[in-house]
This record gives sequence, structure tokens and C-alpha cells, in this order.
Amino acid sequence: MASSPADLLARRVAPSAVIALSRVTWPARLGAAARRRLGRRGRVELFFAFDDPCSAIAVIDLAQRLRGRDVRLLLMPVVRRGIKDDPAVDLKRRYAIDDARRLGRRTGLELTRREPLPAQDVAFLAEWVAAAAQGPALTRFCVAALRRLWLESAGPVERAGYGALWREQLGGRPPGRGGARAVRRNERLMRRRRPYDTPAAWVHGQWFFAHDRLAQIAARLDELGWTAGP
Amino acid sequence: MSAQRLDFFFSFRSPYSYLAGPRAFALPERYAVDLVFRGVIPMAMRGQSVPREKGLHTLRDVAREARRLGMPFGPVHDPIGDGAIRCLLVSEHAIDVGREREFVLSASRGIWAEAVDVASDAGLRAVCARAGLDWAPCAAALEDPALRARVDANTAALADLGHWGVPVFVFAGELFWGQDRIEDLEATLRDAGLDLPTWTAE
Repeated sequence: MASSPADLLARRVAPSAVIALSRVTWPARLGAAARRRLGRRGRVELFFAFDDPCSAIAVIDLAQRLRGRDVRLLLMPVVRRGIKDDPAVDLKRRYAIDDARRLGRRTGLELTRREPLPAQDVAFLAEWVAAAAQGPALTRFCVAALRRLWLESAGPVERAGYGALWREQLGGRPPGRGGARAVRRNERLMRRRRPYDTPAAWVHGQWFFAHDRLAQIAARLDELGWTAGP
Repeated sequence: MSAQRLDFFFSFRSPYSYLAGPRAFALPERYAVDLVFRGVIPMAMRGQSVPREKGLHTLRDVAREARRLGMPFGPVHDPIGDGAIRCLLVSEHAIDVGREREFVLSASRGIWAEAVDVASDAGLRAVCARAGLDWAPCAAALEDPALRARVDANTAALADLGHWGVPVFVFAGELFWGQDRIEDLEATLRDAGLDLPTWTAE
């Protein structure tokens, strides 16, 4: 039976066009060159969740991997994410622990936590980070907090301990107000950018599941001219 | 060394399965494993919705991954519906005649790199011929309820494992999801002492 025009459009023309267009890189390369001429740095927006072990792997790795590049790592914590009404959400959260354990082993990281963390138990961390100014100190805090959560502990999350970590890395007290609103803002931006789950890295027009594509993120930055320094 | 079973759950509608295929079927050449191909019904035909964002991201991400792996990707012809089921039925017949590797690689390449419409007889026949399969038994497989029962059993087995997507490998009860987890699977096979000696010509 011959396919109808609508069928051909949906099955062949549209997906093939998406693939072909995804290979067009000159607009992004031109944009990147223009940014550099204006003295602006490259950007990697990383949407992540503290209750997600794969986010821990991605944040720890990217913080290291992007050193030496003229690129800002913007850490955008979220709480609500995922596919709407996904029947496999609990299975995915549990599988993420096994998966993060394997990914961590590739770089010598050993996961200590064996059970999923309830999102609400660590929502305060997302609120603190979302309300704070981006920069190296905030990155250090996120790396240290995710290490403590996933690589150095297995029990309940003690808020006071993370408060001490905040003082150590950023000085002063964690932001007291506006955090929840800032997290919702990140979640809206993540939806606008199209990623539907964490950890997701937005790199000048393309997004990647960050824990799966760490080397590809670096390759994208290379392609745009933000190569690693000597 | 006796070969150990390695299950390979695969969907013809999954471009990630297409990317995994050549490396999956090459595993028995390097490890003492029996690769058991298990074709499953696509997620979107099992009542699980696939949002538009996920579909678009998958196409773009697979394009990047295909380039990295040196595999062709696009033009495509989405086989959801009859095309996917027909390939599953022929793949069961191909298992019976020992040509599942050839058929799976031929059909998935046809779908994801050559825009072959496997829902049509002409399209399916072409990928069967390239796999060295005669058309008459392939056409008979499309009507064989025993083969359909095997496909349904594979699909149920994946659900029983508590998993939702493909490609999935299962070795000694451990599950590896994704074409990008083959390296972790290989590490596990090496840890199990299953790597085969490499022979070099003198």
C-alpha cells in the first residue's frame, strides 16, 4: 500500500530534515566568533538536580573539564523535571544510581549512596544555589555538596552540615528568601530550552544529556572555537 | 572457556538500537558470550508516550553519535506500526536460520540511513535480500503466530526486568541501558574473565 503524503511527511521528510539541519554548524560558529570579538565568554548552562546521582557525575566532571577554557559554567538547579505522567519515573530514579555508579567508575568516583534521595530532602540546596550569584565559589560549593551527598554519605541529609559548607565556600549564610522562585525560573528556562530531564547541558543552541556526553560537550566547545588552553 | 549468555533487547524503531547493532553483534568475536537477540515492540506502541521534545532530541543526538561512530544516519523512514512489527517477525525467522545479525543490521540500516519503508513489501524484501534471506519464508513469517508469540514474550521479558527503553543488554542479571554503555558492559565482561585471546598472524 502506498504511503499518503501526510504519512511520508511525518515518517520521512520531517525527521530527515531535522537530522540534516542538526548538521548545520555555521550559524553557531559565526555567533561564537562574534561573541569572542565582543569580549564575551562561551556559556554552558547546566540544568541539574541535587537528588540526581547522574547530575553529581556531570557537575563534578564539567567543573573540571571546562577549566582552561574561556567558558562560563552556569549551574541551574531544578527540582521538578521529567516527562509528564511518565510511568517509569521511579524505575528511572532507581536505575540512575546503578548508572551513575558505572559512570563514576570511569573516572575513579565511587558512589556511596544506594537508595534514591527524595527530591524534597535536598530542595533547600537547589533554592540556595538558584538564588546565589554564579561564579567559581558557587561552582565549588555545588561540587562539594554533590560529592558529600552522593560520594561521601548514605544517610539522611543534614541541612546544618551543608550550611557550614556554604560558609566555607562562599562565606556568610545561605540565601534566605527567593530561592524557590529562582528554582521555578530555572525550571521554566529548562523547558524553554527543550531538555526534559537532568542533567542537561545547553551549549550555544544544542543540548546534551550531560552525564552521557561529557566528551561531546567539550567537542562542541572546540568546534565553536572555545578550545582548552595550554 | 564456556560462553555465557548475553541478552540484547532491541527495537527497530529505536535509532539508538541501530547505533548499538554493529558493536553488539561483534561482542562474541571478542568475548566468550552467546549474544541472544531479543526484538521488542516499540515503546510508543506499548502505551508509553514519547513527547515531541524527546523525539527531536533523539534525532539530533543520534546524528552526533553516528558521526562519532562513523555510521551513516539519515535519511530515515520511521517504521512505527506495521514496519516495526514486520521486521520483528522476520528477525525471529532470521534467528531460526542463523542470519539474525545480517537481517537486523540490514533492516536497521535501511530504516535509519536509507529511508527504506519496511512496511511495504518492496522495502522489506530489499533488506531481506541484502541479509541473504529468501523472500518466501520471510513473507510466511509475517503471518506466523508462533513468531508473534516470541516477540510478545521478549517485550514482556523487558518489562519484567523493570525496564522501559532500548537497547538493553543483560549479563548475569546486570542490566546495561544504552548504546553508550557498551564500554561498561565490556568492562564487566573483562572482569568476568570472558575476553578471548587475540590471535595475530605470524
